[in-house]
Parts: sequence; structure tokens; C-alpha cells
Amino acid sequence: MVRARHHEWTQLQPCSLRTKHGPALVAWRVDSRIALIVLILTGLLAAQPAAAQRLRLRQAPGGPTVAQAPANDYSMSFGTMNALGLGTPLAGVSVAALSNGALYFFTYQLTISGLAAGHKAGVTIYVSTNFSHPAALVMENCPDTTACTAASEYSVMSTSAGAPSVIVAPPGVGNSTVTAGIGVFLPDNDGASAYTGTDTSTVTLTATDLNTNTVIGTAVIFFNSPAETVQDAVQLTLSTATGGVTVSPAADFAMNFGNVNGLGIGPAAGLTTVASAGGVIYGTPYLLNPAFTDFTSTTGSLSVYASKVFAHPAVLHLDDSASSAGPYATISITAGAPTQITTVAHDRTSVTRYLGLFVSNVNGATAFTGTDNATLTFTMTVP
Amino acid sequence: MRRSLIFFAGFLALSTGAFAATQGTNTNTVSPTLAISATIQKAVQLTLSAGTTAGISHCAVVAGGGPPDYTMNFGTVDALGINNGNCNKFAPTTPGTTNAIYWSDYTLNPVYTSQATTSASTITAYVSANFAGPNINIVRTTVADQSTVPANAAAFSNMSTSAASPDTIANAADMTAAGSGGTLNRFIGVGIAPTNGAGTLTGGTATVTFTMTIQ
Repeated sequence: MVRARHHEWTQLQPCSLRTKHGPALVAWRVDSRIALIVLILTGLLAAQPAAAQRLRLRQAPGGPTVAQAPANDYSMSFGTMNALGLGTPLAGVSVAALSNGALYFFTYQLTISGLAAGHKAGVTIYVSTNFSHPAALVMENCPDTTACTAASEYSVMSTSAGAPSVIVAPPGVGNSTVTAGIGVFLPDNDGASAYTGTDTSTVTLTATDLNTNTVIGTAVIFFNSPAETVQDAVQLTLSTATGGVTVSPAADFAMNFGNVNGLGIGPAAGLTTVASAGGVIYGTPYLLNPAFTDFTSTTGSLSVYASKVFAHPAVLHLDDSASSAGPYATISITAGAPTQITTVAHDRTSVTRYLGLFVSNVNGATAFTGTDNATLTFTMTVP
Repeated sequence: MRRSLIFFAGFLALSTGAFAATQGTNTNTVSPTLAISATIQKAVQLTLSAGTTAGISHCAVVAGGGPPDYTMNFGTVDALGINNGNCNKFAPTTPGTTNAIYWSDYTLNPVYTSQATTSASTITAYVSANFAGPNINIVRTTVADQSTVPANAAAFSNMSTSAASPDTIANAADMTAAGSGGTLNRFIGVGIAPTNGAGTLTGGTATVTFTMTIQ
């Protein structure tokens, strides 16, 4: 219980100061003859500098939990991440898969208080303790001038206290709450610098009264609860090659050769025919798009086999070739001995391959007309 | 209970993240699938080419890209068999009474696939567009499916001009013997009648339509 004991105290102005044990109030004296008195409201052991009271962080709507530790310390986490941006990130965290990695990010709020009337404050941020694996995790910052909901709004956060990144730029803001963003960029990272595991980082925010050029508050965010976790990731997609038959998304992908015949008459768009003993091969280019990250190997292998053969395997089977003119080789139907496509697939480098459909020209009892289906299973393995 | 919870938490931490067959985390392999579909249809193809019979001349069969699909030119001909034409000729047996025949061999190349039955297949031919004059007609061997070199002018007869009743130049036995991708040697020509007077043609073209039926 606190009371004002002298008539000279006209106001007890509540501030945002926190101590190890709880909030305090700072009273400013209005009578010039009397020294400043600090009143301890609850179990005060050691007061923090008044500057630290005027900058607070809190969870933004939709953002992740912002846990406040003693003093003006906070803990946050991006959770488990990967440089391909696969999977669902931690609640409140967004992920943007980029052409060279992935950015995990979220927004948070900063509240500036205690500024004198007419004064404005700016806020800066820097990485005060960087990740132990800076090639694998890069802190990024988004200022309050953008929505901070897109990867393009983020940039690499300074690691220098002397030249920090800006959250609230001059001319600054008065006593108010602003929204900013913070992120972690995970670049594609294969080879010697690949890393999987946990890591931690700390960033420090500083609010400065731009009218007096004095620090009015600091806050520290520990990214350690839980520790940031980097996982390796693999992805293999198929897509349509220029001039080829359409590869459509299905479970997982689908390709329709349309109407075919044993003479190669009238191939559909995207198909070319190549003569083959006993029939004809309809060929089309397609793209294999490998992506993998945080592997010590910089190359992977691609293979394929027919996990479901045509119902009329004597009439139809699938072939593979590196060129449109062939030669085509029958794709394996054995999972244990698949057809090898390449052993040097590189991250985010498409491989053009040619898929052939052999159509027999057989007549008589074994002839078949109608629709048939098969399934190819591609496998990418990164050692 | 506590030990179980710890084990469970550890299991979750080490488990592979599988989101779809196209991607995964905490793993080094991924296996997407591609579904392939195709509809196979029956197909037939009949092409013509120059003959190869030994001992005679062969008129060229030129692929025209259609229409016409092919052309054959017998050259300059006459009813007395004076001109040599481009290929072979039989002079009239009785000049001024019977026809002169200018002729050539040619090759039929039947190809067909995905046909359940082929035993009753045939190739027929008829004159779908005849010469404008009455003194010249398309002829074929009197035995329409003859594959040996005809001996004389009498071995030829006019080709049918009726689509409804064409000449069978390859019957089922011929087709079976040739099979898909085989060849059939046949003979065709023009018969020049020794007529005079109005309407006598001194030049022109005719069209023969071949039909292959696989059944």
C-alpha cells in the first residue's frame, strides 16, 4: 500500500518499469526544492533504470506467445523449421518458401510509454547473441511501416549494436503501440555448412527519445524456449516440360497420353513417336524438380519404377530416356531394382527426362483397345 | 507413467515429418507417384509404293500428300501401242479393233494394329473419278488379285467404277498371307480404245480409291 505523504506530490505517474519481483511506480517531484523520491509498491529489491520501463513487447493478434521473463526479457520461438518451408509451422508463425530457402516470421507489438508530451521515440533492434550456426539461421527484421506479413518486407537483422536495424524510424512515434515483425531465414544449405539440430539466439531492442536522444527503454528477446530446431528436408515434384504433355497435380501427379495406337498415327499435342520393334513409342518430355536442404551431400539420386503396371502389359509399358529420340529403355517394375535416372541431381535444379509409352502393334486374341492405367513411383534419395 | 511420457516425447522429437509423398522433413528420401493413363485405339494404314517385280519396268508411285494421296503417270499413250509410255505396254492384239494396254506393277502395304480379328480382311479398289473421255479406262488384271506378271493385253480388264461393288484386289487369303506390315504386288494400267470422232480424249486423269477393311 502506497500513499503520498506530502502535499508537494501532486501525481504518482505509473510507468512500465519492472523489477525482478514485480512492477514499481516512479514518482516525479514537482517541487524543485525536494529531492526525487521513489516509492516502492511491492517487494522492491532493486529498481531498474527508468529507461527500461518505457518499452514493452506483447503478442500480436494471431502471433505466437510472447513470454515475459524477469526484467524486460522475453522469450519467443519459431519452433521446428526447414529451409524448404515444408509442413505446418508453430502456431502463430508463418512460413514463406522462397527460391533460395524459407523465411519463418511473425508479428509482435511494441508499446512505448512515458514519453513527455510532444516527444517521439525510435526503436532499433540487433542480434546481440547470434545463432551458433549463422550459415543455417539468419535473424531478420521487419519495421513498423509495413504489415510484416510477406517475406519481401523482411531484411537481415544487424548483428552490430553500433549500427542496429530500425524498427521505428525517425521522426518516431509518441506513446503508442506499433506492430513489427521478426523472422528467421533458413537458406538452402547443403554441403559442409549444412546443419540440423537446435540453436538459440538473442536480440536486443532499444527505444530512444528522439527529442532528447536518450534511451528510454530496452528489451531482450531470447529465442530459446523452445530452442529453434532446424531439420533437413526433401521434396521431389514433377511438372510439365516445354512442349510436353501436361503433368497435372493429382495423387501425386498424373499424365494422360490420350488416344494412342500401335502405328503412332496422330499423336496428341506434346507427344512424338519413335519407331520400336513390335510397335511404337509415344514420348514426351517432363521435369523432375528435386529440392533438398541441410544435407552434407550436395547431390541426390533419382530413380523410378512402375509400381502399378498396365493391365495389359504385353500391349503397353513405360519407357525412360534421356532424349526425345531415344534410345528408350523399359522402366523397371521392381521396387528393389528401379531404373536409375541420375545420381547427381542438384538442389532446385530441374532434370528434363523423357517418358515413353510403348504401344504394341499386335493383332488377334492378345490385341487390346480401350483405356489402361499405370503408376510410376519416383524416389529421390540424398545420402 | 513418467517414463512413458518421456519416451513418447523423445519419439515425437525423432520422428520423420511426412506431409505428402512429394516431401518430407527429418528424412533423406521421398517417393512421389505419377499416374499414367492412355486409351489405345485400333489403327489401320494402307500405303502404296512402286512395284518391285523383276523383269518389268515400274511406274513411279509418288506420294502427293493428299488429295490425291499418290500419283502414277503412264506418260504418252496411244491406241495402237506406238508410244512406249513410261512403263510397260501391250500393243493391241488387233490394231484398230482391240485396246492397247499401258501398265505397271505397284505395291500395296497394309498395316493394322490392335485388331481382334483379321481373317476376313480385304483390300478393294474402284475408279472413283474416271477419265473424261470414253476411249481410255483404268484397267487391272482380269484376276483382280493377281500378283504375277500378266502375259498379254487380254490379261487386263476394266476396273470397277462402282463404289458399291469395287474390285477385290486382295482377298482374305491374300491379306492373311501378307499380314500386317506385309506387301502385296498388283498390276494396274490404262486401256486405250481405238475409237475416233467426237469426245475422243487426248489427255486426262482418273482417280482410283483403295479401301482396306480389317475384320
